[in-house]
Amino acid sequence: MNAIFRWLADRTGMEAAVDRCENHKIPGGAGWGNVWPAAIVFTFAVQAVTGLVIWMYYSPGAQSAWESVYYLQYEVTGGCLLRGIHHYAAQVLVGLSLIYVVAMVFRGTYRAPRELVFWTAVLVGLMALAMCLTGDLLAWTQNGYWATQVRVKFLTLLPVVGGDLFKLAAGGPAFGHLTLTRFFALHAGLFAAILAGLVLLHLGVLRRAEAVEAPSAEKVGWYWPNQAVMNAVACLVVMAVIGLLVSKNAFRGGNDGRPPAAYLGVELGAPANPADAYAAARPEWSLLGVYELSNMFPGDAIPGLGVSWKVVPIFIIPGIVLLVVLAMPFTGRVRGGYIFNVAVTVVLLLAVLALSIRVIRHDLANEAHQAALAAGHEQAVRAVELARSPEGIPVGGALALLRSDPKTQGPELFKLHCASCHDHTGGKGIDVLAEESSAPDLGGFASYKWIEGFLDRKQIDGPKYFGNTALKDGTMVGFVKGNLKELVDDIGQEEFQKLIAVLAGEAALDSPRSEDEIDEDTKFLFEDFTCADCHKFYDVGSLGAAPDLTAYGSREWLAGIICDPTDVQFYGDGNDRMPSYAKDPDDPAANLLTVREIEMLADWLRGTWYEPGQAAK
Amino acid sequence: MVAESSTPGGKTRPESALEPRRGVLAKLVAMAAWAAAYLVPAAAAVAAFLNPLRVKSRAGEPLRLGSIDALPSDGTPRKFPVVMDRTDAWNRFPNQPVGAVFLRRTGDAEVEAIQVVCPHAGCFVNYDPQKNVFFCPCHIASFDLSGKRLDETSPSPRDLDTLDAEVRDGGEVWVTFQNFRTGIPQKVPEA
Repeated sequence: MNAIFRWLADRTGMEAAVDRCENHKIPGGAGWGNVWPAAIVFTFAVQAVTGLVIWMYYSPGAQSAWESVYYLQYEVTGGCLLRGIHHYAAQVLVGLSLIYVVAMVFRGTYRAPRELVFWTAVLVGLMALAMCLTGDLLAWTQNGYWATQVRVKFLTLLPVVGGDLFKLAAGGPAFGHLTLTRFFALHAGLFAAILAGLVLLHLGVLRRAEAVEAPSAEKVGWYWPNQAVMNAVACLVVMAVIGLLVSKNAFRGGNDGRPPAAYLGVELGAPANPADAYAAARPEWSLLGVYELSNMFPGDAIPGLGVSWKVVPIFIIPGIVLLVVLAMPFTGRVRGGYIFNVAVTVVLLLAVLALSIRVIRHDLANEAHQAALAAGHEQAVRAVELARSPEGIPVGGALALLRSDPKTQGPELFKLHCASCHDHTGGKGIDVLAEESSAPDLGGFASYKWIEGFLDRKQIDGPKYFGNTALKDGTMVGFVKGNLKELVDDIGQEEFQKLIAVLAGEAALDSPRSEDEIDEDTKFLFEDFTCADCHKFYDVGSLGAAPDLTAYGSREWLAGIICDPTDVQFYGDGNDRMPSYAKDPDDPAANLLTVREIEMLADWLRGTWYEPGQAAK
Repeated sequence: MVAESSTPGGKTRPESALEPRRGVLAKLVAMAAWAAAYLVPAAAAVAAFLNPLRVKSRAGEPLRLGSIDALPSDGTPRKFPVVMDRTDAWNRFPNQPVGAVFLRRTGDAEVEAIQVVCPHAGCFVNYDPQKNVFFCPCHIASFDLSGKRLDETSPSPRDLDTLDAEVRDGGEVWVTFQNFRTGIPQKVPEA
């Protein structure tokens, strides 16, 4: 053992290195003010370790990035913890760099021989920020996608080269697979390497500066273990802060049965949807100041330059600030330079703080923003529910799952195509109010309650049913207001309720029953109540006068009436204003809605969609 | 001790200006705190790294492959593709071909199922109707119809792998599909 150690030591000079480390002296003595570099190295190391394992799960691609992060978060042991630590440690790294640089400005420790110590610290902070900016996109969530889209589009503000810069950053004319591969290469490759190099360089020049200063310092202290023990405790404190951030949602309570991955660490937002701009997209806390600053400038061109005013807050002001900060070792030499640097730093910090508070307060008071946040959260929850369903994620990715989900697509389709006339209230799906209600309320359509109200003489010509339609003076209204009461009295209330129950039972079907499932008693009901005079019900009655009640309100029936209410199976020539959404199944281009859209509408109206805990269809 | 004169123009300070070095306790605390700080991220990383050990293959449930009527009564083997829902990490692929088996009628209502994967190196064996044997083209190995090795020195470390097969409900052939590790003499299911 000893021989091996000797052999190695002779060839590596490691004894001398250990000796240098053990006997390194800190000018000014060991102190808590010296722990920042160690905390930064620690946080970077945490990022390297967690990042490497995340890399083993991550798949950059527009149909696999969100999905692979979902897998890590929800299916991998410790995955949500790993991702949470990586996310919050990134924020902590930016914060630590900021505190460190500000502390240097206040202590004037950018002066000779520490210029490089200061500059490398500033650059570490900038690279930490670059890591946040590239990392933000990688999970391919709505927020990351749209916030990054805005940032990268800022490049196009630059004259001449703007358009080319955008393409270079995005990997093409628009965001997609190549944006992810590019951002990933920058994040885990180039930027990570530069950051590692800068951290090492910083430590090197710091050591050198301390060694130069120590002999002339009034007091010197040992690195080992006097400073080291403080550094280690600082690392522990940093980790505790990261731990608190990771588990903050667990402390808030209200986790009602959700899996830990839903509240531990950082929420996985809804998958990026290039067709649905996310209005609540915001940068991380560290860039809120620049965000708000850019909002204070108009988008139009600076007169005579043809360049947008936005160039000033995005490029010119941050650029000047960076130059002023980098010049501090020089300004600090001039008389009054130290005071100037401190003043500049204080003013900058206050300005960024004020701008950040402004945007946070504005967003909190902005109902539209809060609504967009809530909608985004709901979409995220739904995307995860669907991804965890037994059917799993198709090759088209989680977005394809969301796009064919009746629960979330139904109300959108209804608003777009049905709510110009129909209300939808009190159904299983959310309430949607018509622009101007002029057709039956479809909430709970064909349910027992709905049919009972329809067959109520007081309600049928009211606004919830036929009141605002051409059918107000039709045969059905006349029948309900006329003969029906007498028939119910004759045949009995119990039989009437049975009739309603039979119809409501039909609505629970996907498609019609086979004929032999309908017993004679049921058929008699339709004859006794004279329904069969106008309506067909299986082999009772005939088509032509009124809608077919066979499998009334079922998936197939609903899809059919949406496709073409003028079909003889439905209203035929007696149709009021209801459009045919897919009259010709053979000519999809001529139809207002696709077959899948109509199916989703039908499923939404009937309240049949996947909910967690259900088996696969 | 480090040579203090190595610093440019440096003068050694009197010992009084040097803080006393702290003792063993401080060293232990330093190492313990440092290790504790790394504990949580390292544990999460190791747990996630080891996660594949926890993921089980979905094989092992009996699958319906076809009807016994499709098998020649003389015992000639026929190859049947095995179609299953396949899960690849986060993606579900419904009805994917995951492999194949040879089915051979051994009685009126009896069927034998043999994996097409050669136990040697994982190639697919073929049925050679002329010689009436299974033949692996990769390393020239022959097997008889029950899967026994025919060569004097076979490249394959074991006979072809048989699978549990049964005939249900008047003719449906159900097979418990399973892949086995290749290259070893024992028949060990892939987990």
